Amino acid sequence: MLDWNPLIITLETAVTATTITFFIGIFLAYGVMRMHKGQGLMDAIITLPLILPPTVVGFFLLLLFGKRSFIGQALLQWDIHLVFTWPAAVIAAIVVSLPLMYRTTRGAFEQLDPNIIYAARTLGVSEWRIFWHILLPNTRQGILAGLVLSFARTIGEFGATIMFAGNIPGHTQTMSTAIYAAVQANDYALAEKWAAGIILFSLLFILSLNHWLNRQTRKAF
Amino acid sequence: MKKFFVLLLTILILTASVGCQQQLATTTTPEKQSPIELHIAAAASLTDVMQELAAVYAQEHPEVTITFNFGSSGALQQAIENGGQTDLFFSAAAKQMNALEKSGNLLAGTRKDLLENSLVLIVPQDSRLELNAFADLSRPELKHIAIGDPSSVPVGQYTEEVLTNLGISDDLTAKAVYGYDVRQVLAWVATDEADCGIVYATDAASTPQVKVVAAAPAGTHQPIIYPAAVLRDTKHPEEATAFLAFAASEKARAIFTKYGFICK
Amino acid sequence: MELIVSLEKKLPAFTLKADFTLKDEVFALLGASGCGKSMTLKCIAGIERPDKGHIVLDGKVLFDSEQQINLPPQKRQIGYLFQHYALFPNMTIAENIRFVMPPNTAHNDKTIQKLLNTFQLTDLADTYPAALSGGQQQRAALARILATPAKILLLDEPFSALDSYLKGQMETELMDILPAYGRTAILVSHDRGEVYRLADKAAVINQGKMETPQNTKDLFHNPQTLAATLLTGCKNISRAQRIDDRHIYALDWDLPLKTVAEPSSQIKYTAIRAHFLTAQEKTAGENVFPMEVVRVIEDTFSYIVMVRPQGKAVKPLRWELDKQQWQQLKKTTLYLYLPPEQIMMMNS
Repeated sequence: MLDWNPLIITLETAVTATTITFFIGIFLAYGVMRMHKGQGLMDAIITLPLILPPTVVGFFLLLLFGKRSFIGQALLQWDIHLVFTWPAAVIAAIVVSLPLMYRTTRGAFEQLDPNIIYAARTLGVSEWRIFWHILLPNTRQGILAGLVLSFARTIGEFGATIMFAGNIPGHTQTMSTAIYAAVQANDYALAEKWAAGIILFSLLFILSLNHWLNRQTRKAF
Repeated sequence: MKKFFVLLLTILILTASVGCQQQLATTTTPEKQSPIELHIAAAASLTDVMQELAAVYAQEHPEVTITFNFGSSGALQQAIENGGQTDLFFSAAAKQMNALEKSGNLLAGTRKDLLENSLVLIVPQDSRLELNAFADLSRPELKHIAIGDPSSVPVGQYTEEVLTNLGISDDLTAKAVYGYDVRQVLAWVATDEADCGIVYATDAASTPQVKVVAAAPAGTHQPIIYPAAVLRDTKHPEEATAFLAFAASEKARAIFTKYGFICK
Repeated sequence: MELIVSLEKKLPAFTLKADFTLKDEVFALLGASGCGKSMTLKCIAGIERPDKGHIVLDGKVLFDSEQQINLPPQKRQIGYLFQHYALFPNMTIAENIRFVMPPNTAHNDKTIQKLLNTFQLTDLADTYPAALSGGQQQRAALARILATPAKILLLDEPFSALDSYLKGQMETELMDILPAYGRTAILVSHDRGEVYRLADKAAVINQGKMETPQNTKDLFHNPQTLAATLLTGCKNISRAQRIDDRHIYALDWDLPLKTVAEPSSQIKYTAIRAHFLTAQEKTAGENVFPMEVVRVIEDTFSYIVMVRPQGKAVKPLRWELDKQQWQQLKKTTLYLYLPPEQIMMMNS
């Protein structure tokens, strides 16, 4: 019997991470776009995990949240251990998918005619209402594209996860790490099953998303 | 759009709470009478043998559940040093264990040099090259020789040591194909992409698609030792020590030997 | 309504400097694209922040660099009509208007109906901006501004995105709306016709430097600078030197010209509008010169005849005249009269 845990954990991790990434990504895109100074540096820092090999990202996460770090020490006060836990897998997935969400969203924000925002301001509309009722609805396509990319990225995430969250069946073992473990165990049949599973899942996911996005696009404003 | 946001937030809260419950469930189990969960971090090259070992152990000790965490020894060492909670560590090389010992992460007196591996020359099952020794590697008809990357992969470092000691290292540089882990080297030979390759004896034993034609001559490389130890932060020192003792027992030796290891 | 503007802002290509005051009038900034005129509007509206200066609307300080005051655009009560109208694409016309009003459903419904009616948009209330023509979009944008308590109207190239036949219509409509603002508005344009027809006062802005505002008619009839001359549409410009108290010498055309006023010793340029040249039978008195035709260009309702003082390899002059007139004339050599009262003189 096939153990369904890796699929469930992959989905739980991907959904949680993508959701958090979604909010943080939009927030950062909006924040960085409105920054007057240090925009380039902030942009580079957020984009960095996209360029670094995932294992290096995982290593940085270990250093950042490990028990020797300031954050790790603070967490230990609350008896929170992150390394080798499910939240660590979520954090790893967030960090690697955030650049995609952030970049795509920022691109979408910048595509919007700035005069539309300016017009709203001169007409007395508050920044909050501008964000929710003008910026977001008019950049929906880009934001959704970012969401799709982020989700896809978390599904395939391997390097940072295995480094930071480990490869613990039933806890942190995702489909990707399950394939790795199966190959290491010389259980090619199992590896092939999971590989087929991840391909099938990704295909279904992308197809249904495209379908949904097409419908969204066709929906007139 | 607003509905969409609300939907996402709901999903977030739901999955996060499920995830946390999962975490809580595992951390609170010791309070109850439920089985003890031993977390074992082990080198990826030990995956199959450790799983068999655990299955045997579970029959004798139903009160203990074993959860594995397989990865590269280096990554596991880094994670443990940075607070990754685990009870036992089985490393594929002494280097990582030494580092953990130095940083005070091992439970004193539990470290054991458990296993030894050897380096072998393999060819595809149906190879007609008639290679018989490491020295044959300099033969001109060989096109691709698969070895581990000496700069990053342990098997590659041992391989280079052997080739240097045999004085044929320079002859091979043009033909060498470097793999980033030993399984890749094995796969290249198994699929007949490479004429031959150098892997651990255990890897050679894992597939019928390759055959061993020679073992590295004695003394041409440092001993390939697999140490194991209980970690200082373990919540179950007794059970962890017991499992380590089992790993050194006669019963376990039989299993290890089956997979090509030499027991110390 | 009174608006006092005095600002300075460093831009990549130049430093923008603008000083003007307007009270119950339409003020125009005339300039080529990229000269800083839109930036001036953005500074007034609070979209951009000037480096120095102050902006005061009806006694309320909107910006003052010394007092560290910089009100956000939301608090400035300035109606800004953007070049491409900047309607919210995700909202219908009615929603666009409702969105900028304080929430008060019953009263708002009435106001919206009234505005839609005024701007002939009632049938388009539930249409999205993308489905509207340029003129309809502009009306909607104006209606949206009128739904806010804006005290002054800033018009950024309001007609540049419209077809020429719509331009005239929208211009008239705009003239009807302006009284609602006590006729206080700033018009930014590169189209001299628009400025001439709509503005009471105008100033030329060139490379960020705003020249002294003038009565619009004065600016067109007697531009004081080369930039103003060019922007008000004068095509015949020559470098000039003073000869005596009633004569100058047009260097580029190699012609001595009689003037009405006394030329300054600082005179740098002279100019004459293309349609002020007239044909004469023969050389008779001052300012009549024999000219040879270089090229004839047929325009919609006129001919543009490029002429050059006979026998001189100099810059040609442009002469515009009625089609009929040219048909009767059609000669290769002409005697052209440059009326002294139409000779413009510029010192900078």
